[in-house]
Amino acid sequence: MKKIAPAQIAIGLVCLIMAFGITLQIKSVKYNKAVNNADYTRAADLQALLRQEREKSDELTKQVIQYKDDLQEFKEQYSKSSDLSELYKKQLDRAELLAGLTEVEGTGVVITLRDSRKKSDILLDPNLNIIHDSDILSVLNELSASGAEALSLNGERLVATSEVRCAGPTVSINNNRYAEPFEIKAIGDSANMENALLMRDGVYDTLTAYGLEVNIKKTSKVVINRFNGTINYKYALPIVKEAQ
Amino acid sequence: MLTIIACLIIGIILALFSSFNVSAEISSYVAIAILAGLDSVFGGFAANINNNFKMKIFITGFFGNAILAAALTYMGKLLDVDIYFAAIVVFGTRLFQNFAIIRRYLLNKYLPDNAQKK
Repeated sequence: MKKIAPAQIAIGLVCLIMAFGITLQIKSVKYNKAVNNADYTRAADLQALLRQEREKSDELTKQVIQYKDDLQEFKEQYSKSSDLSELYKKQLDRAELLAGLTEVEGTGVVITLRDSRKKSDILLDPNLNIIHDSDILSVLNELSASGAEALSLNGERLVATSEVRCAGPTVSINNNRYAEPFEIKAIGDSANMENALLMRDGVYDTLTAYGLEVNIKKTSKVVINRFNGTINYKYALPIVKEAQ
Repeated sequence: MLTIIACLIIGIILALFSSFNVSAEISSYVAIAILAGLDSVFGGFAANINNNFKMKIFITGFFGNAILAAALTYMGKLLDVDIYFAAIVVFGTRLFQNFAIIRRYLLNKYLPDNAQKK
């Protein structure tokens, strides 16, 4: 027994190190896996944050609408006070109508654009089967050319500074992003606008040739929202002509 | 035997209560070092049974094998060759061989085969 004592001590010591190492390793592997799982929990956290920010943004939008209503009230009160101010108000109303700052309604068309529902062809570029910013632009352009007075895309009023731009899988309009389906509302001569789109080899034919779904609906009453963003002109300044 | 079990328990407790963690990068080296260490431990048991246990060989084998295995793994990573497979195969094989020796010894000791007069 005494003879093998040093061996026992050595083996015991080694066993201690082994047990320590193995346990530590198992613990660490478990811990590292938990860390990797943390990525998922982080995604959930970010989602919650996003939701919060969206709620905040919605509230702010409501506030903007409230302020605009207040402004409207002030204008009305002001216009009642004198004849000259009434004239100013008429001019302002007209300017707002032209700028897209008022909600408008009238006869027009509602066009819905959807990606192709057909099975994609291996030989063809799949990009041809989805709606792009250029497709939307061609429709909008055609509508403008045929006398549309007010245009909106997925509820975003198109004004002088509006962009329709590719933003990854979405399209950016007034710096807000929208995904397919796209609904274009246009106020104007509905028959005229429909004919312009349905022209032979026109926009409708071109888009449907790629399998894109274009649905044109004439309606007697189209309501188009006002522009909800803000425009600050920093660089374009009016030229003031001196009175002669 | 008691000292060994006591040492095992002490080691496990120490590891459980330590705040230190093996990072993911060196985890593979530690794992292969553990395999090498296990091989040495089993080798030590087997040598003890065969009565040719030598302290020097045991200690140097334990640390040397562990370090060499980890170093090989690192070199394999540098060369983009999974050299640690070599360590796994060699140590794994020896582990089973040593276990076989231990198993035979224990069986002969506690469950002696009557037909075999040994």
